[in-house]
Amino acid sequence: MLKQLKSIVVFATIALVTICGVTSCGSSNKLSKKEYKARVEQATKDLNAILNNETAWTLEEQQARVNEIKKTDFSKKNPEIVEMIERAEAKIAREMAERDRLAEERRLAEEQRIRELEEQNKPKTSLTEYFDMIANAKDVVSANSAIKEALKLFASPDAVVLIRLNNYGDYDRPTTAVNYLNYIKDQKKVNVSVDNVKYNEKNKITELELIKK
Amino acid sequence: MKKLLFAIAFAFFALTGYQAFAQEPELSPERKQAIDSLALEKVRDLSKYVKLIGSKNTPWSEANRVIDRAEELFAPDAEIGVSSLSKTKVEYYKVRQYLERLMRLNYDRVEIDWYKIQYVSDLQRQPDGTYVGVITIFQTFKGYDAEGRLVYQDTTKKDITVYVKRKETQIGGRLIGFWDVLLGDMRVKETAH
Repeated sequence: MLKQLKSIVVFATIALVTICGVTSCGSSNKLSKKEYKARVEQATKDLNAILNNETAWTLEEQQARVNEIKKTDFSKKNPEIVEMIERAEAKIAREMAERDRLAEERRLAEEQRIRELEEQNKPKTSLTEYFDMIANAKDVVSANSAIKEALKLFASPDAVVLIRLNNYGDYDRPTTAVNYLNYIKDQKKVNVSVDNVKYNEKNKITELELIKK
Repeated sequence: MKKLLFAIAFAFFALTGYQAFAQEPELSPERKQAIDSLALEKVRDLSKYVKLIGSKNTPWSEANRVIDRAEELFAPDAEIGVSSLSKTKVEYYKVRQYLERLMRLNYDRVEIDWYKIQYVSDLQRQPDGTYVGVITIFQTFKGYDAEGRLVYQDTTKKDITVYVKRKETQIGGRLIGFWDVLLGDMRVKETAH
């Protein structure tokens, strides 16, 4: 008798838990009419804002909101919302693609601008060619004109010029760009080659290291 | 007693310091050759400057700029001798004064050439680490009048003392060791036609 009573209690407990569990699940899936109505209203409002460009949300935020709306099943009672979701998704996708295209265009334009700037800054005549032009100038006027042009390659007329005598760390007294270019003009000779050049962010020479030939 | 100990200690460090300096290795032949050439080159540079300053074809502003460059080659108190066939006494002038006089010489055309520029006394290392030598040059001077006639000419042999000292400077965060060549007095040795 006691054994039978025990079985009845266990069976009753399992049945109770099962019934409660099922009821609980049912209550989480189902929305109350009031909740559903509120969701329909909010979804309609948000989707209209998205479709009519009346929101300050970013495209990612709009897509996130649509994804959230999609979690509720509107297909049975409000198919117009499903249709709005489709239109909103298509619009967001279009606008994202357009945005990405514009960003790519801007990136390419910026790359082109930098290339053109580099091309502009790139010396038409090399430093060594200027050295030769100055040393072999027919007169002071043309030598000075070449010096003026050559100085445009430098960040400043006072940019440092080092003249290395050998590979043992021996240098001549350091000088400046303007003085060295004038030296070439006065001496009418170039007995150095360019060993190392340091540039600034504007592609202008800040330090020039020459080595005796 | 304290003073005596201090004096002994000072003398000890001074002597050992001097010995350490004196024992610094001599320059390798390659490096010595580099500074020999550098000093000789400075004298050759000076010869071009003298020619430019003396030339009546050099614009005034250029001549003044070249005077500045030429002056930088010399030690601060260096003097340059000037001789003439008509005078027995050699006059000595400060470098800038000499160069400015050279620019204003009273000829319509001036030709100055230096040749046989060579060491008469090789660079020798002094106790303070400076290398000192003597370079000789021959200078021909020709002065012309407005009609292009040669009115004066002479050839002078001059000796120039050269000082070469190792110095260091920081450039762009880098320590650069350089040889500072300075020309000393330029003494007249002979003057002839």
